[in-house]
Amino acid sequence: MVEMSVNLNGLAMKNPVTVASGTFAAGQEYADFVDVAKLGAVTTKGVSLNGWEGNAAPRIAEVPSGMLNSIGLQNPGVDHLKAHELPWLQGQGATTIVNVSGHSFQEYVDVINALEDAPVDAYEVNISCPNVDEGGMNMGCSCASVEQVVRGCRDVTKRPLIVKLTPNVTDITEIARAAESAGADALSLINTLLGMAIDAKSRRPLLSRVVGGLSGPAVKPVALRMVWQCAQAVSIPILGMGGIACGEDAVEFMLAGATAVAVGTANFSNPFATLDVVEGIRSFCEAEGVSDVNELIGGLLC
Amino acid sequence: MGLEDTSARVVANKHLFGPLYLMELDCPAVAANIMPGQFVHMALPDRDASVLRRPFSIFDRDEDTGHIEILYQTVGAGTQAMTGWQPGFETRMIGCIGRPWEVPFSTKRALLVGGGVGAAPLNLLCQQLVDEGVDVDVILGAQTEGALVCRKRYEEACGKEPRCSTDDGSFGREGFATVLVEEALDAAQAAGTPYDYAAVCGPEPLMRAASGLIMDAGVACQVSLERRMACGVGACLSCVVETVDGRKRACVDGPIFDAEVVVW
Ligand SMILES: Cc1cc2nc3c(=O)[nH]c(=O)nc-3n(C[C@H](O)[C@H](O)[C@H](O)COP(=O)(O)OP(=O)(O)OC[C@H]3O[C@@H](n4cnc5c(N)ncnc54)[C@H](O)[C@@H]3O)c2cc1C
Ligand SMILES: Cc1cc2nc3c(=O)[nH]c(=O)nc-3n(C[C@H](O)[C@H](O)[C@H](O)COP(=O)(O)O)c2cc1C
Ligand code: FES
Repeated sequence: MVEMSVNLNGLAMKNPVTVASGTFAAGQEYADFVDVAKLGAVTTKGVSLNGWEGNAAPRIAEVPSGMLNSIGLQNPGVDHLKAHELPWLQGQGATTIVNVSGHSFQEYVDVINALEDAPVDAYEVNISCPNVDEGGMNMGCSCASVEQVVRGCRDVTKRPLIVKLTPNVTDITEIARAAESAGADALSLINTLLGMAIDAKSRRPLLSRVVGGLSGPAVKPVALRMVWQCAQAVSIPILGMGGIACGEDAVEFMLAGATAVAVGTANFSNPFATLDVVEGIRSFCEAEGVSDVNELIGGLLC
Repeated sequence: MGLEDTSARVVANKHLFGPLYLMELDCPAVAANIMPGQFVHMALPDRDASVLRRPFSIFDRDEDTGHIEILYQTVGAGTQAMTGWQPGFETRMIGCIGRPWEVPFSTKRALLVGGGVGAAPLNLLCQQLVDEGVDVDVILGAQTEGALVCRKRYEEACGKEPRCSTDDGSFGREGFATVLVEEALDAAQAAGTPYDYAAVCGPEPLMRAASGLIMDAGVACQVSLERRMACGVGACLSCVVETVDGRKRACVDGPIFDAEVVVW
């Protein structure tokens, strides 16, 4: 028996695995494959106050060992989430992390305020989306604005507050420290890396927005490096993600310092990816004589 | 019917003409459950660099043998890799996905219009309509004679020759299929037996033009839309289609849409 539960500074998870926001909706679409109650948590698609239209198609492009997306945080708004997805997740017995987005400092606060009476176990504040013009990544790129958003959110909730960081910065540890000092309970990283793809023959970009966020195995080395650096820089726990597709990938993130992990792009090729990662971590621990997954956290030898 | 991720084994994989191939797979779950217009999201197990599956319509199925057929065209690395799949090769497919063709109740006459490999998702519909006693006319367009690979199947299914057009005039009418659509609509009208329903699948300019003509003639029309898809199950919002009711997901709100709601 391997002890699989972890605690993300107030968010108790039955195992270290959640889904990466935006790749799993709120789980209903994957219900034929995954019992959401078996996951450490479900992280919902980014939600804004009144909903956003998102960007024009084509919104994705496959690239070697990864994909670009420019969905643009399309969502129907927080009331829809409260009326439909959150009750369903509660009924399924899921642990729920709501990914919160905004075009302004105030919008993040308003979304959290709107969710305070809803069945939510933690918030993940997305200050790292590369696919919207206002808010999103811009807010996650300077220490001052990170502090302002996080402080605003902190003031209105006692629930665990996870701050999701962008890798598109010069020094992610500065941003990590800013989020910690403003009251974040945990950090999640990485969001997608800004990239682009071109069709040489037609001389056109593959995405209608031209640029988009890179995810999948291609980003894993960058993500591991950033998780490792942030783990050195802050004392709050880290939710690591970027290219995780199997149990051993997840173990690598935990060794680098992550307390929990998220599975994103891997769901697309394997709808059972999250459950496979849970089982993969368990069997790794069994094979390696690890009795508690918490022993893996930060266990990198170097 | 819920979604399943089932294994599928290649039984045959034949080159037909130019970029066109026909793959037969053993996949009883899909063979039994597929409704005309639905598709499968197929893994590319031999392509490590591909993080996404590929969506394909089902061209034909045999419930008794549990076999399905996919008619495919090589476009890029994924479909190119598929051409090398030998009998016995195992892949996986999520199915059966999406909204099927919805033929209005009491349809007596139907028109099916397929451009290029877009003829694939119309074959099962053709069979279903013929079984229901509907009088079906088929129009097929392609670049050249050799690419009209479905012609014989459609002839078998509906007992009459499809009307064909080729861009180079090597078979049937020279030019685009829209000319044949216009003629068919006029002829049906003149004979006093107008179509009750039309289904169009092919390149978007053809679908747009043909569905416009069909709707102008007062005939209910549906189209099958293609978008790049990541999840294929409705979760990721990659595959949006602009409609008069806002953005819809091609994978689960489609791929079949009423032509009148599509904003081209
Ligand atoms: C519902 C549906 C049914 C389809 N049915 C058939 C069919 O029966 N026969 C057939 O030959 N083709 C069909 N297609 C198109 C087929 O999915 C693409 O040709 C195929 O994905 C191309 O993959 P690739 O790796 O060769 O091309 P690449 O261009 O290298 O693919 C890169 C990415 O773009 C996507 N992509 C490229 N072209 C298309 C396209 N036209 N539509 C959707 N995604 C695309 C790929 O899936 C992949 O994610 C269908 C598409 C959809 C959405
Ligand atoms: C299609 C898609 C949509 C995404 N939507 C969101 C989102 O709404 N909010 C967010 O914080 N991150 C979003 N992300 C980023 C992922 O949550 C994750 O940080 C990133 O994809 C890296 O993980 P992966 O390589 O496992 O996918 C999205 C990623 C993808 C591929
Ligand atoms: S492909 Fe993911 S929502 Fe359609």
